[in-house]
Parts: sequence; structure tokens; C-alpha cells
Amino acid sequence: MSDTTVVLALLPVILIQLVLMIFALVDLIKNPKPNGPKWLWGVIIVVINIIGPILYFVIGRRNY
Amino acid sequence: MNVLEAKGLTKQFGAEVAVEDVSFRLEENTATALIGPNGAGKTTILSMLTGLLKQSEGTINQSGQGGIGFLPQYPQFFPWLTALEFVEMAAKISGVEAANVRQQSVRTLEFVGLGPAMKKKCGTFSGGMKQRLGLAQAIVHQPKLLLLDEPVSALDPTGRREILNLLKSLQQDTTILYSTHILNDAEEMTDQLLFLQQGKLVEQGSLKEVRDRYSEPRIQIRFETSQEALRFSALNAWQGTVDRTEVILPVTTQGPTMQMVLERLAAEGLAVSGVERKSATLEEIFLKVAGKE
Amino acid sequence: MTQFRVLFQKEWRENVRNYKILWIPLVFILFAILEPVTQYFLPQLLDSLGNLPDGAVIEFPEPSPGEILANIIGQYQFIGLLVLILAYMGAVAGERRSGTATLLYVRPLSYGAYYMSKWVAANLIAVGSVLFGLLAGYYYTALFFGQVEIGSFLQFAGTYCLWIILVVTVILTASAWMPNGGLAAAVSFVLLLFMQLVDGLLGAYWTVSPFKVPSYAAQWLWAGPETGAYWWSVAITVFLIVAIAAFGIWMSKKNAAKVKV
Repeated sequence: MSDTTVVLALLPVILIQLVLMIFALVDLIKNPKPNGPKWLWGVIIVVINIIGPILYFVIGRRNY
Repeated sequence: MNVLEAKGLTKQFGAEVAVEDVSFRLEENTATALIGPNGAGKTTILSMLTGLLKQSEGTINQSGQGGIGFLPQYPQFFPWLTALEFVEMAAKISGVEAANVRQQSVRTLEFVGLGPAMKKKCGTFSGGMKQRLGLAQAIVHQPKLLLLDEPVSALDPTGRREILNLLKSLQQDTTILYSTHILNDAEEMTDQLLFLQQGKLVEQGSLKEVRDRYSEPRIQIRFETSQEALRFSALNAWQGTVDRTEVILPVTTQGPTMQMVLERLAAEGLAVSGVERKSATLEEIFLKVAGKE
Repeated sequence: MTQFRVLFQKEWRENVRNYKILWIPLVFILFAILEPVTQYFLPQLLDSLGNLPDGAVIEFPEPSPGEILANIIGQYQFIGLLVLILAYMGAVAGERRSGTATLLYVRPLSYGAYYMSKWVAANLIAVGSVLFGLLAGYYYTALFFGQVEIGSFLQFAGTYCLWIILVVTVILTASAWMPNGGLAAAVSFVLLLFMQLVDGLLGAYWTVSPFKVPSYAAQWLWAGPETGAYWWSVAITVFLIVAIAAFGIWMSKKNAAKVKV
């Protein structure tokens, strides 16, 4: 398998993580009252891979 | 015609008796105020009438069709739905015909003053807007009976006035039962009063009946000086009390009437700055009823 | 039926507007892709860490495509279930606790329609996520390791989806049963993950069990499970789904009185 194929194959993995992160961040910015300090959620979403955005959607979002 | 009759309504939560042997009737197109301090059992009674709670004892007879509309004290909405979506859902679940749902929902939202906000998400609503939306979902299916738990207690004076006016305009073709601990509100829109204390109904009747029973009417005369007040008091045998420049005369079956007082004042040539017939406010009556227990 | 349609619309809007329709499938797809990708790069990764003495060669037996796919549901059995529990633990309990359900419960509500609207919405998301995930995994496995026969793959995926429907049913019923989302999560956790462990430890003594459905699913990737044990387990799972859903409807109605007014 050529290197280009490998890179192309890996692209979706990175893309999905990016999409999760961006959606979580955009939602956090629009959220009037998240469950906990905003900046902390921002850090969690960006720093903790995959799990960070999930944690935000499940716990931090509080269905505004 | 009775829209609803409750007999011997009792609710126990374990050993605690929240409501004890409460009976009343709601007549068609009348407004009844359920009055009592916090924790008296008002919400429990309303919850039983909606069917949310099952009474431990007693019966609730609802005659006639048309269903119930209910507004809780702090109505909660799914924050991700818009006001219109929520009211339409409420209408459909309550059985409003599909063809009428949209029109009826929009009209109701406009009636409560949420016309401009009906496409906004409920999650963004302020307390006053939630109260209006709560009222909208309670009346969208045009129920014959409207149950409201402290409908205006949480509102500022302007909001309170507006909601009270809306409720008054509904009164012509809706039977309303509402709870409140603010007695000025009750005084404004009431055909029947139910005084609740520690789960028991301690007094009930129309506003006039209750007034007559407790209000102790009196005539208050304000003089220019305290000497004149004392002089007037000494001149008659009406057993008034003198409070500086004022004389207060209790009105009993023997008198005096306002006319008798005015005639006497004229005959004596006394100058007054005011004569007024007074009766107790609902608040004073309530304190008296509460004190009786 | 009208009530079901109205309530399902509400549930669907919740899943869309709270982004569940986005993040749940993405997580399942991500974990499905990661499995073949890490397996493929593992030897190179260990090589580059390189604290091996010169000349030492580790031979990695190349995993079969079937093994990779079976590993994916191995991931789902913990992380996937956890995601579903977290996403749906509050489905009924949360509405009751926050008081948003009050305005539904005071109406002539059909609790069957109420529960089933949540059941259908949650299952669409969960089963859809698993299917998309497994398809992504299938594609990557084929790319790196070789293809699994499509018929076997479909039997594998279909059987696993039945298990996922049972999982969703347990979570929703726990939510209808328990006073809050946390306890619903705990009950689901015990019933699904802990019982699975018990079945794994003691299950050598029996062959028919709903907890064996995931491993029977995986067996389709090789020779296929033993027919009798497989179909009995499937039948019991279907029966349990119906029974647990019925219990959930009953609990939704019974616990309606506990809604915050």
C-alpha cells in the first residue's frame, strides 16, 4: 500500500475527531449556561481526545 | 351547573396528611380562589384534580366534557422546542382536530402576547414568558375547567396585571380554580373563596359571604383636632374608639349608619376632614380565619 | 397512533437539536475505524518506539479480517454501551425530575405511545450508529487486511443489532423505573455490563442466553454459531425486548405521579 493511500485512509479518523471538537466548541460558545465554567469545558473539549466532546454533550450541555 | 365536585378529598404521603377531608363545588363559569399559606396543600389538591395524584380517600366528580387545562406554579418546557411547536404538541395530545391545530395554537399564543416570540426556543424564555406560554398550553384546547397553581405569584407587577386581565377575559366561558397566597389577587377575581390551612378547609363561601362573616364594618371619622374628636365621642353612645384625631365607630345591627353619623355631625356643627365606611381587607379576614384555628 | 406520531416528532427533534444524531454515530464510526487502523500500524509503532536490542525481530501474526471485526464489537460492548447509557439514561427520569413531563402527563396521554416514541427514536439512532460503524469497519478491514464475505458480515451485523435493541430497551426501562438518570445508568450498567461479565465467567454451563448474542454474532464471521443455541438465544432476546418494554410502559405510567409539579 502506498503512503498516499495510508494518509487518505487515516484522514477520516482525524476528520471525525475534528468535527466532534468543532461542533462541541461552537455549541459551547452559543450555550448561555453550561453545567460548569465555560473555559474549563473549552479546555476539556480541545485537550481530551474524543472523550472531551462526548463529556461535554452528555454532562456539560444541560439542554439549553 | 357543577363542573366539578370534590367530596371528602384526603391525601396522605406515608404518615403525613397533606390534605384532609376537603369538599367543594365549582359552578360553571365561576372563578374560585384557593387561598392558604405555602405548604397548606394547595398544589396537592390541584394535582389530585388533574389526575396526576390519586387521592387516598374521597371522590372527584367532573361533569361535562371539554377536559382540563393546568398551569403549574413553575411550568417547565422542553428547551429545544419552539413555543409554537410545544403548544401544537400540547393541542394534539389533548385531542384538538388536526385541521385546527395550527390556527388554534397561533391564536392562543397571540392571545397571551407571545405572537412575536412563538418561533423562539422555549429554553431562551424569561420567567414571565414561561408563565404566558404555560397559560397558552393550558387553554389551547379550550378546556371547560382551568386549574392554575399560583398563576401570578412569580411575576412583577406589570406582568401580574397583564396575566390577571387575560384570566378575567377567559372567565366568561371557563370555570377557573386557582391557588394563591397573595390575597390582593384573590380579591380581584373571585366568586368563591376556599381558605386552606394545614390541609384542611377552614372557611369557604362567596367573597360577600366571607366579608359579611368577618369584615366588621366600621365608620371612620377624621377631625381637624383631637379635642373635636374627643368632644364628638362624648356626645354619643356609639362606643367608638378615639385615636388622636380619629373616631372609629363599629357598625352593628343597632347602628350607627352612615346617615346617622352625618346627621349628628351636621347638628353639632363639627368640621371633619373625612368620613369613610371601611371593611376588612381579605388579608385581615385571612388572619382572622387563621387565628380562629 | 396520532399520539405516537406527535411524540415521536418531539423525540426526533430532541435527538437532532441536542446533536445526539451527530455525536453518537461519529463515536461508533470512530471506534470502528480505529480498530483496523491501529492493528495495521501496531507493528510499525512498536518498531519506532524501538527499545529492542539490535537484531531482535518480533513476529506479529497478522490478524484475520474476521478477528478485526469481532474486536470492533468488543469495543462496542464497553465503550458503545457506555455511550448509549449516558445518552439515554435520562430519557424518562430526566423529564420527570425536571418537570418538563408534567405538561404531558396532565393530558390524556397514552403511556404506550409515550414510551414507544422514545424507544423507536433511540433505537433508530443506536442501531443506525452501529450499522454505520460496522460498515466503516468493514471497509477499513477490507482495505488493510482483506475482505470478509458479505453474507457473513450481514448476519454478524444483524445479530449484533438485535443485542443493541435489547440494550436500548433496558436503558429506557431503567429510566422509566428509577427516580433519576444516575440510578437508571447504574441499573443499566449492572444489567448489561456486569451480567455480561457473569455470563462470561459462568456461562460455560449453558448455551442459551441473551448475553451470548454478541459472541454468537461474531461467530458468523467464522463457521457460524451452533444453530439450536443461536436461535433459542435470539428468541429469548426478542421475548425479553417485548417484556422489558412492556414493563417500561407500565413503570412510565406508575411513576407519572412522581413528576415534579
